Amino acid sequence: MRWNSAANFIISTGKSFSWIPVLVCVLLSEQTSPPSGQPAPAPSAGPNSPPTQSVTPAQNPAPKLPLVLIDAAHGGSEPGAILASNVPEKDVTLAYSRRLRQELLARGFQAQVIRDGDFALSTDQRVSIANSVKPALYICVHAASTGVGIHVYSPVLPLAGENNGAFLNWATAQSSSLSRSRMLQQQITSAIQKMGFPVKALAAPLRPLNSIVVPAIALEIAPANGTAEQLASVDYQNMTAAAVANAISTVRQRLETAP
Amino acid sequence: MIPKNLAVTTGILVALTLGMSLYLWQLRRHQTSGPTSSVLGSAHVAPPTTGRQEKVTLFVADDSRGELQPRVVSIALSPDRQMRALELLQRLVEICQEKGSTHAISSTAEIKAVYLIDSGAAVIDVNSGFVDGQTSGILAEDLTIASLAKSLSVNVPNVARVKILVDGKERDTLAGHSDISGFYDAAALSELSRDLSPK
Repeated sequence: MRWNSAANFIISTGKSFSWIPVLVCVLLSEQTSPPSGQPAPAPSAGPNSPPTQSVTPAQNPAPKLPLVLIDAAHGGSEPGAILASNVPEKDVTLAYSRRLRQELLARGFQAQVIRDGDFALSTDQRVSIANSVKPALYICVHAASTGVGIHVYSPVLPLAGENNGAFLNWATAQSSSLSRSRMLQQQITSAIQKMGFPVKALAAPLRPLNSIVVPAIALEIAPANGTAEQLASVDYQNMTAAAVANAISTVRQRLETAP
Repeated sequence: MIPKNLAVTTGILVALTLGMSLYLWQLRRHQTSGPTSSVLGSAHVAPPTTGRQEKVTLFVADDSRGELQPRVVSIALSPDRQMRALELLQRLVEICQEKGSTHAISSTAEIKAVYLIDSGAAVIDVNSGFVDGQTSGILAEDLTIASLAKSLSVNVPNVARVKILVDGKERDTLAGHSDISGFYDAAALSELSRDLSPK
């Protein structure tokens, strides 16, 4: 049975094994992440790294909260959308993901970024990492000039073949967690809305989400004032990251009681 | 002195060569007098006007509001289901190509064909101009897909599943975000822009 699962995992992760070093990095960084109650580390240095922000440490150490895995979409040779002049989506998603990690760590969550640098990862590599780490919540981060504020997406699954016992259909592996994904999406959207921030809950056929076995949502950060340049603004990124982190804090009990 | 049988054979071969040359020349002349494939490929295919005029509701994407807006239009529709589906979507694309559209689509975008298959499946074949001019982003791409799926499923009976091809071939995403590699439930796609926020 164990061999079946292992074989299924290996087969379903695709033909390339180049995701393994990335997975190792994620697992190692998870082990070395600071305990709650201590200041979170500054975002990694690099051409796209945002300036360090102050994080207020909690006074009393508290038990670790669930792991939130943040996936900065695009990267490397895949820039994503060009949001404004010389602002590719991959840079905004990376900077925003790092800020969101900071905000979550400051609230005592465990938080990791899958793509913590300017390199390309295939969809299957991202899914493999997420399904191996098994976070309480997977968040795929995108950015766009269309729309206003924060768009929170739940998956729309394709009509694909059935699961075969322990072997999950790669295209619809999310099916077992879909109801939790929708519930978390709705509660996070509601919490952001209560903060007075423009937010919209939607559903989308997104491949990384559809293959992930844990609760998964996607965030698309859009400008609030209609100008795409706002997406590259540090203040705007901080504001939206704090709003999302606060919203995730409101569902921490739901995440802790994950099956 | 050339043998008689050799002379006859040579004569027959010469006659055959001349005949084949004449036939080939006629074929080439016939081919060049017709419309060329490049002309056919670039010509804009206008919706047929032979069908009965009908009022239908198309669902036009509105990027700024992030939702679909119903629009009642009167167009000539063929009684044939498959042609009707094609004409509906061609009209939808024309609306998006108008000046001041709420969801801009490239002027070269075209719906090449709509195939209605048994058991309620519809395959929409768009040209490469359709995806090349698509704004990249989850919301923008979803609105395009939802607009096509809802306009089709509301106006053509028994369309339950939808798949999108580009120039007859499968493609992973519309413009880098929304997955179009598989068949999706038409109702689920139509609700992409449904506001799920608690009231």
